[in-house]
Amino acid sequence: MIVPLEHVLIVAGLMFCLGLACVLTRRSLIMILIGVEVMINAVGLALVGASAFWRQADGQLVVVLLMALTSAEVSISLAMVVYLNRRKGTIDADAYDGMKG
Amino acid sequence: MNPKLLFLIPLLPLLGAAVNILVGMRLRPLWRGGIAVVSVALSFALACLAWPLSAGEGTRTLLATWLASGGLRADFGILFDPLAASMTLMVTGVSTLIHLYAVGYMEQEQDTARFFALLNLFVFSMLCIVLADNLLLLFLGWEGVGFCSYGLIGFWYARLDNARAGQKAFLVTRVGDVFLAVALLWLFTATGHLGIPEINAAAPSLAPAAVTAIVLLLLAGASGKSAQLPLMTWLPDAMAGPTPVSALIHAATMVTAGVYLLCRLFPLVSLSPTGLAAITLVGGLTAFYAATCAVAQREIKKVLAYSTMSQIGYMFIAVGAGSVSGAMFHLLTHAFFKALLFMGAGCVIHLCGEENDIHRMGGVKKKSPFVFWMFLAGALCLAGMPLSGGFFSKDGILLACFSHDDGIHRLVWLLGLVSAFLTSFYTFRLLYLVFAGEARQRTHPHRLSPLMRWTLPPLALLGLFGGLLNLPPAWGGNEMLKHLLAVANEWTADVPHGTEYALAVMAAGLFLLGLLAAWGRYRSYPGDQPNGIKRFLLAGWQADTGIEWTLLKPFRALAIFFGLGLDQTVIEGGLRLLADGAHRQGELLRRSVTGRVTTYVHGFAWGLLALLLWFLLETVR
Repeated sequence: MIVPLEHVLIVAGLMFCLGLACVLTRRSLIMILIGVEVMINAVGLALVGASAFWRQADGQLVVVLLMALTSAEVSISLAMVVYLNRRKGTIDADAYDGMKG
Repeated sequence: MNPKLLFLIPLLPLLGAAVNILVGMRLRPLWRGGIAVVSVALSFALACLAWPLSAGEGTRTLLATWLASGGLRADFGILFDPLAASMTLMVTGVSTLIHLYAVGYMEQEQDTARFFALLNLFVFSMLCIVLADNLLLLFLGWEGVGFCSYGLIGFWYARLDNARAGQKAFLVTRVGDVFLAVALLWLFTATGHLGIPEINAAAPSLAPAAVTAIVLLLLAGASGKSAQLPLMTWLPDAMAGPTPVSALIHAATMVTAGVYLLCRLFPLVSLSPTGLAAITLVGGLTAFYAATCAVAQREIKKVLAYSTMSQIGYMFIAVGAGSVSGAMFHLLTHAFFKALLFMGAGCVIHLCGEENDIHRMGGVKKKSPFVFWMFLAGALCLAGMPLSGGFFSKDGILLACFSHDDGIHRLVWLLGLVSAFLTSFYTFRLLYLVFAGEARQRTHPHRLSPLMRWTLPPLALLGLFGGLLNLPPAWGGNEMLKHLLAVANEWTADVPHGTEYALAVMAAGLFLLGLLAAWGRYRSYPGDQPNGIKRFLLAGWQADTGIEWTLLKPFRALAIFFGLGLDQTVIEGGLRLLADGAHRQGELLRRSVTGRVTTYVHGFAWGLLALLLWFLLETVR
């Protein structure tokens, strides 16, 4: 392995934090979903890196599974965004507070 | 005769009550009363038929087991011994006459179904007391008469005074009941039995101090029901009920229950000299107290009420002097003549157009000589005319008391003598004020129904010749009742016949003295002259005011202090403070639940950060 594992983990951690920051700060539903994608990708990167480091295929297998899961999640999420947009005419996440206590 | 048939004696009045409760209002008024009379008359007939069963030790029979748990066992059981049998005969017999009279008395009333149902229930409860073979069943009847007296005294509940009198009777007698209940539980824990014969048999094995305490508790219970000092204030107020009810309460049922209880448990009671002395003293003081009060009363029925209290006091004296047969003898003769007097008073009230005040009566003899002669018969018995039933029974009691040679009994004997004089005086005062002279007020007399008239003569005969029941040897009798009852530990007055005759002469002298005093004062109407002493006696020595000031007011103040001061401000205030705090806390937390995804994710992120920091700290350490 030409790239040391530490570097991979650092990049993955940075990506995760960037994704999280995006989820936390943006108010548009689509941007939040993109943030989530970035976080999932960070996890995938860490898995692939670790799989290469220990020469075990398990991590890469999980990443394939993760990709399938992500694509399914994205399709459902986008459908929901369309549905929500149609209901309230906005995709601002703060507009959806129907579960207020 | 099958002993199980004994259960019909109490159950028949219960059945009559049930019929009247369930369908009474749909029946015609005559039927309602008819059912009540027939049910009691049948149980009287049964009691007569069952008389042979009471011979010797009596019959004990069992219908079913009521309660059985561990050592506790209470049956629906009857103990039909001579004591219970004679009492049963008296209760059912006198009640039958009173019921008959009530049919006549209440013919103008509307809701008589309730009246007759309660009247029957009253007799049923009393028979429960009389016949019960265990204390729990006795207590059931004991509470039953309390309830029925409450319902009947407050029968005309539309007037607040009547309803209050009912409540007062209920509450004051309940005070005594608490003591009785304690005595009952104590007896059960001490002896392990509830059955009356078992308790009487086990009594000698108890510690003397415990026996004394139990006897004093029993005395308190009996005082409540029998209106003895200091629980007597309910009885004069109980006159608010219809007259037949007064007759029933005073003659046949409720107030005699206390005396009967003490007689029933006499083998136990007799073991405590202190208890006996207390009983004598309570009886003597009550006899004197009530006799003085009766002297000043203005209402015809209240005179009789106080005289009942006084006569029951004599019965207590007899029990305290150890003469159960004397107490029962006076109880029986008193039942006859007091029922007669009350029913006569009811006739008088009817004749005077619902007037109760004897100062506004007068001249009733002219209106109805029949009622006068009947009332006179009762009055002579009450005043203790020589050779009448009341004379022999009262004389027997005073003799038994005199034959004890100690201070307390001598004192009580003196009180008894003074009360005897006062009894004679107030009885003739009543007679003169009501029957003599001219009517002092124009009234519209009500019609006297024949039922009201013709129930009086049997009672008059029973009252006048009741002395034959227990004629002492000095008068040529053989003390039938005493031999019949054959109570264990009974005190026998061992005095020479000479003393007995002397005492009788003294009693006769007191009777004459009372008669002369009343004749001197009241042979012509002296006018209504209230003064301080009369007002004091009229109010029963201000007993009600005294109780109001010593017990009720402090109690009410305490209740207000605890209710408003402690409970509502301190305790409820504290709780409300806590509740308000929790509520405010909830309101604060509620704001964090915004329903927005971003807020939750923020919370999640901060939580994650906190967790990570914590892990970090843990690794560093």
